[in-house]
Amino acid sequence: MENKLKINLLNLSFITIKLLVTFLLISLIILLLGGSPLEVMESIIYGAFGKPQKIVKTLLIWAPIALASLALLITFSAGLWNIGIEGQIIAGSVGATIIARSALGESIASPYIQIFIGLIFGGLWGLLCGFLRVKFNVHEIFGGLGLDFVASGLIVYLIIGPWKRAGIASTSGTDIFPDASWLPTLGKYNFQIIPLILVIASFIIIFILIKYTNLGLRLRATGINPSSTSRYKINSSLYFYYAFAIAGALAGIAGVVQAAGFHHKLVPAISGGYGFLSILIVLASSRNPVITMILSFFFASMIAGGSQLQLRLDLHSSMISIILSSIVLIWLVMRSPYLNNMFNKITSRLNLEK
Amino acid sequence: MTYFESSFITIISLSAPLVFVVIGETITERSGVVNLSVEGTILITALTAFAVAVSTNNASLGVLSAGLIGSFIALIIVLCDIKLSMNQIAVGFVLTILCGKLSSFLGQNFVRIPGPSLPKVDFPILKDIPYIGPSLFNQNILVLLSVLLIPTAWFFLYRTRFGLNLRSVGENPTSSMSRGINPEHMRILGTLIGGFLIGVGGAAFSLHAKYGWSEGHTGNYGWICLAIVIFGGWNPIRAALGAYAFGAFQLIALKMQSVTIGFTQVLPLIPFPLMIMTLIFIQMFNGEHRRKLPVFLKPIIGGIEPGSLGKPLNKEK
Repeated sequence: MENKLKINLLNLSFITIKLLVTFLLISLIILLLGGSPLEVMESIIYGAFGKPQKIVKTLLIWAPIALASLALLITFSAGLWNIGIEGQIIAGSVGATIIARSALGESIASPYIQIFIGLIFGGLWGLLCGFLRVKFNVHEIFGGLGLDFVASGLIVYLIIGPWKRAGIASTSGTDIFPDASWLPTLGKYNFQIIPLILVIASFIIIFILIKYTNLGLRLRATGINPSSTSRYKINSSLYFYYAFAIAGALAGIAGVVQAAGFHHKLVPAISGGYGFLSILIVLASSRNPVITMILSFFFASMIAGGSQLQLRLDLHSSMISIILSSIVLIWLVMRSPYLNNMFNKITSRLNLEK
Repeated sequence: MTYFESSFITIISLSAPLVFVVIGETITERSGVVNLSVEGTILITALTAFAVAVSTNNASLGVLSAGLIGSFIALIIVLCDIKLSMNQIAVGFVLTILCGKLSSFLGQNFVRIPGPSLPKVDFPILKDIPYIGPSLFNQNILVLLSVLLIPTAWFFLYRTRFGLNLRSVGENPTSSMSRGINPEHMRILGTLIGGFLIGVGGAAFSLHAKYGWSEGHTGNYGWICLAIVIFGGWNPIRAALGAYAFGAFQLIALKMQSVTIGFTQVLPLIPFPLMIMTLIFIQMFNGEHRRKLPVFLKPIIGGIEPGSLGKPLNKEK
C-alpha cells in the first residue's frame, strides 16, 4: 500500500517536472520573440477572465473548439488523421446559413433546425473524405486537406456570389442573420447556454461511445490494426465511415455555433482555424477525453485572452498560435516513448530498492 | 519568340521552387521519413531567404541560409523519430503550424519591401538555342540549378552506393542493418539533404517566382508538393515532371482569369480538387490494380511507396 502511494507521488512529481519545463521553455520563447512573459500571461488571463462578459466570450470560443476536439477523438481512435475537419466546420456553417436565409430563419425554431442541418452537412462532408479513403485509397491527409480548400473556395464563392450583401459583394461576409436565427442568450451579458449544452452532451456521448460501447471498441481496434480486425469479421471500411460521419457531424455543429452564435453571419474565415487547433489539442492530450476537454478549455482561454495582445502589448496576433503550437511540440517530446521509458525505469528502480 | 516558346519559358521558370521542394521531399521520403512540415518549412525559409538577402544585400547568402534552416527543421523531425521514437506525422504537423505562424510573426517588418535580386546567368552561345536557351541560360541561377538538380538527384539515388543505401533503409531498415548500413545515419543524411533542398525551394519563392514577402506568402504550395511526390511515385524525375505539369496548369488558369470574371477569388483554390483527382487516378493503378496497367504505362503511372515510410526506426527503444 505504501509502495503504491510512493509510485503515485513519483508520477505526480514527474508530471510537475514536465509542466515546469514546458512553462520555462514557453517563457523563454516569449522572451525571444520580444515580449515579457509575465506581461503576456497577465494580459491573457485578464483578456479571458477579467470581466463577466469576457468569461462569457471565452466560453463561446471554447464551445466550437471542444466540439471539434471531441470529433477528432473519434477519428484518431479509428487511426485516422482527420485534417478535413476545417472543411467539416465550414460545411456545418453553410448549412446553418441556408436555414437562416430561408423562410425558416424568422421562426423561433430556427437555431435548432440550424443545428440539425449543420450536423447533417458536416457529417456528409466528413463522409466524402471517408469515401475517398475507402473507395479510392486516397490518404485522408490529402483527401481531407483538398476538401478543406474546396470548402473554403465554396464559402468564398457563396459570399461574393449568390449570398452577397445587397449592392456590394465583398469578402467581409453575408448579411447579418435575422434575430430569430441567433442562438438565444440569457441575462445582461448575453450568455449563450446552447453551445455549452451541446458540448456537455457531446462529451458524455463520445466518452461513453469510446469507452463503453461495442462500436467504440471496434473503432479502436480498427485504429490499432485495420487488417487484423477484418479477421474478426469487422468491416474496417464501415468503421472508417462511422468515424468520419460522427466526427463530421460534431464539427458541423461547431460550424453552426460559429455562424449562429459567434459571427451571426457567414464570413470566409468562419472556422477560425479551430479545426487545426483541435488537432494540436488531441495530439497533446494523447486521446484522453477528459484531458482533451481540460486542454481545449485552456487553449480557448489562451485564444480569447490573446486577442488583447495586439492592443495592449503591440505583439502580433500570431504570437498566441506560436505559443500554443510550441506547447504541443514540447509536450509531445515530454510524452515521447523514449522519455516515458526513462521515467518508468526510474520508477521501477526505486521500487526494487525499497 | 513564339507564344509556345514564351509559355515554355514561363513554366520552367515559375516551377523552379516546386522542383526543388518535390525533389527534396522525394529524397527525404526515400530514406523512410515523412517530412510533413513542408508547408511551414517553405514559409519560414522563404522569409529567411528574403530577410537575409535584404539585410546583407546578397541574395545568394539568402538562399544558403534558407537551405540551412530547412535542414534544421528536418533535423528536428528526424531526431524526434530516431532518438525519441515519436510519430513523424504528428511532429511534422505541429511544425507546419509553428513555422507558418512564426513566419507571420517574424516577417512583419519585411512585408512588401524591395530587396536585392539573384545573379543572372548569361551564357553567350547557349542562350540562343530555341526553347532551352532563354529558359535556362538567360535566367537567374536558381532556375538553371533546379533543372540541373533533376538528373543529379536521379543519378544520386539510382547510380551511387550512397543512394542505394538510402533507398534500402527506406525499404527495410532491419535488413539493411544486416548489410552493415547504419539506418540512423542514412535517415539523418537523407532528411538533411532533403530539408536543404526544401529550404532552397522556399528561397526560390521569395527571391524568384513570387518576389518579396507577405503573410502566408507561399500560398499552400507545400501541401501541393507533398501530393506531387506521391504523383511522382517517389522518383525524382517523375516528381519534377509533375511539378512542371502543375506549373503548366497554373499558367492556363492564369490565362483564363482574363476570360472569366470573378475567377480571381477562386483561382488559388483550383489546385486542390485537382490534387484529389490526381491522387484518385494514381491510386486506381496502385497495389493489386497495377497488373491491369498496360506495360508501356507502368514506368509513368503509380509507384510503390518506400516500405518503412513514416515508421519509427526503434520501436522498442
